[in-house]
Amino acid sequence: MSTAYAVGDTFTETTGPVDRADFVKYAGASGDFNRIHYDEPFVTDAGYDSVFGQGMFTAGVASGLVREVFGLHALAEFDTRFIAQVWPGDTLTTTVEIDAIEDGNDETRIEASVTVTNQDDEPVITGSAVAVQ
Amino acid sequence: MPSRPLAELKAQVGDTHRTATDLGIERGKVAEFARAIHDPADIYLDEAAAKQAGYEAIPAPPTFTRTAEFPRYVPDGEAFNLGFDPARVIHGEQAYEYERPLYVGDTLTGDTTLTDVYQREGEGGGTMTFAVLETAFTDEAGELVLTATGTSIETGQAISEGDE
Repeated sequence: MSTAYAVGDTFTETTGPVDRADFVKYAGASGDFNRIHYDEPFVTDAGYDSVFGQGMFTAGVASGLVREVFGLHALAEFDTRFIAQVWPGDTLTTTVEIDAIEDGNDETRIEASVTVTNQDDEPVITGSAVAVQ
Repeated sequence: MPSRPLAELKAQVGDTHRTATDLGIERGKVAEFARAIHDPADIYLDEAAAKQAGYEAIPAPPTFTRTAEFPRYVPDGEAFNLGFDPARVIHGEQAYEYERPLYVGDTLTGDTTLTDVYQREGEGGGTMTFAVLETAFTDEAGELVLTATGTSIETGQAISEGDE
């Protein structure tokens, strides 16, 4: 992966459509067994229209592009705010955009915004990442 | 509303509990997690590929410490008791600060501090209760590997799109 970035550089990746099986796989892999993510009778009783994805599932999806852009050695911070739910059938697009580059004496600090939107272009995650090289 | 009054929750702010012990980063769990987040990169699946990419071993994905809540890593009776209703809990935010990549072969200990608790009225009605929990994960040498900060929200009612 190139280590040269410019402010405004934008990277995107599309995932999905995601479905209930994705939420179940993430539950099994992560240990998040909250029933709101896979138990339809439980969630409809609780007032939801259907199960929805774990926020951390979507954060994990976003981390894939962040890893690809910066690599894990450089990654210093990763922050995700969960804005809206991800429903079965949603297609997720992750965007990483370089916002700032600060050259220090022996290292460069790169700040990026990280967003995940659904097929209606609505944000489901807004966040940020910082890489130090 | 949580089953415990706000004052009881606020009284726990600043408390630290050991919330994860013997959290061994295992190759099979890393591969399973990488596939579950749709990022089955070679570095997560193959040691030779990881080393070729400059990692000392297979690294774990940035959000892998979510697995710290598997019962096998959670010490008995140590968790914070916030009295949140599981059917009403949503995850508001998650932030990480990394000191170095996390590797297969690492064994972590997690110490969690409740850093803030507050309430506000949700737009759709009902009181929302926020709890901010910061977990420091250290390796076998006692060195900090990463800090994970999560905000849990107990909502007053089922949330709908755009409530936040």
